[in-house]
Amino acid sequence: MMKELLEVRGLVRRFGKKTAVAGIDFTLEEGAFVGLLGPNGAGKTTTIRMLTGLYKPTSGSVRYYGRDFFSNQKGIKGNIGVVHQYSNLDRDLTAFENLNLHCILHGIPRSERKKRIEEALEFAGLAEHRNHQIKTFSGGMKRRLVIVRALLHEPRILFLDEPTVGLDPQIRRSLWDLIVKVNQVKSMAILLTTHYIEEAERLCKRVMIINEGKIIADAPPEELKKDLGRFVLEVFHEDGIEERLFQSKEEALEALKGCRETCKIREVTLEDVFLNLTGRRINV
Amino acid sequence: MFNGIKGVLYRELNVYRKRARKLILASSLSPLLYLIAFGWGFGDRVVAGGLPYITFLIPGLITMSSLNQSYGISQEINIARFYFHLYDEYLIAPVGPMEIVLGEIFYGMFKGLLSTILIFIYALIFSVDLIISPLFFLSILIHTFLFSSLGTTIAMVIKDHGSQATVNTFVITPMIFLCGTFFPVDRLPYVFKLLVYALPLTYSTKVIRASLTGGEVSIFFLALMVAYASVFFYTAYLAVRRVEA
Repeated sequence: MMKELLEVRGLVRRFGKKTAVAGIDFTLEEGAFVGLLGPNGAGKTTTIRMLTGLYKPTSGSVRYYGRDFFSNQKGIKGNIGVVHQYSNLDRDLTAFENLNLHCILHGIPRSERKKRIEEALEFAGLAEHRNHQIKTFSGGMKRRLVIVRALLHEPRILFLDEPTVGLDPQIRRSLWDLIVKVNQVKSMAILLTTHYIEEAERLCKRVMIINEGKIIADAPPEELKKDLGRFVLEVFHEDGIEERLFQSKEEALEALKGCRETCKIREVTLEDVFLNLTGRRINV
Repeated sequence: MFNGIKGVLYRELNVYRKRARKLILASSLSPLLYLIAFGWGFGDRVVAGGLPYITFLIPGLITMSSLNQSYGISQEINIARFYFHLYDEYLIAPVGPMEIVLGEIFYGMFKGLLSTILIFIYALIFSVDLIISPLFFLSILIHTFLFSSLGTTIAMVIKDHGSQATVNTFVITPMIFLCGTFFPVDRLPYVFKLLVYALPLTYSTKVIRASLTGGEVSIFFLALMVAYASVFFYTAYLAVRRVEA
């Protein structure tokens, strides 16, 4: 049995009168790969920022390996790696200098720094760009670099906040490969926030669906979908799309025969789960 | 304890190194213009505070220029924080707020001291004799520490880039012109005198000028500089401790 790494209880964050996170509870084990799926404004980023010490919670507790985070931040932060949804690399510094800065801040001994940085650049496929300034990097290269930067101090958990947002599909897929490699090769727990259904389904072994600051479902993707059915028949009416759910493809095909409008059969996705739970879509 | 200080200095000094030529050129221009306009313009015909005007002016320019450079880190922190989110990297690292504050302050002091050296070079060119004593070193260190601390506080307290310009316009610029840089504050009307004696630059200018020109250095003023520096250091620490990225 995997050891419990993170325990979150009753976490709340308010900004004035607005409640961004409305009391969330969950635990995370070592080596887990968990997705936090929800639409924009659901509270994903605020949650990550509280779990990494960038925001202070209004109430609630966060424990890493049983230790309270907010009273032991300096001691615990060495176990945490964070990749933000924006690049916060210094554009005037080179790739090597950006990674070296991270090493210095995390107290990695000088004798080890060069080796770790070279390995990280190799891992990200950026070895030949080590001495290039970040201002010359493409969006995909920056994302790869921020991911390996977060691994330099060998954290036990990596938070990825919308790591592929704004990237084209090809780069997104190459980043997915990198992220899976991190989880498998480095056996590091990963908590990934996303509003991309495909990303959550492909990468995560467990998905927490968040809406209006609350976790409304928490299970492996297949389990979340199982209760709903396996196939969806989409009927395209003039005033919108009607969706009918079926447990087998045969049932869906049978229903398709009686279809007079344009109809399409597809597999159930987490988008359908979200729609069923909230009455609205994640990506609108 | 020192990883935060080392990290902040590593970043700031590397960025500075890459822009050094431009930055040094920019920081050397305005004191040179003041020297040409006021120093040569007034020449030896004007006496201020019992000194030939150019001898009076050079220490003023040292305090002004080092203030500009030390306090100027405020703008750099501001851009790093709001536009490039570089502060997130410091805040997620296992370093304390005190380390971040000290790193920024040491960088501000470095910039302030560098501009001081520039003015000394001008003093040599303009053949102005100055006395460089241990008291001068002490006072310039306190002065640059004070204004780097103030710069760090302001950068952390303001909510956006526009507020930075407002602080500069309403606090820093009046301070530079009124606190004895270009003329003795004793000649100011009573109301203005009250105002300038509430501002820390007045004491820095008096102490630094006295130490460089052989005047009597007021220990009370030096103590006031230390008091201001301590207050601003503490506010900088509190501001970084409370800041949310």
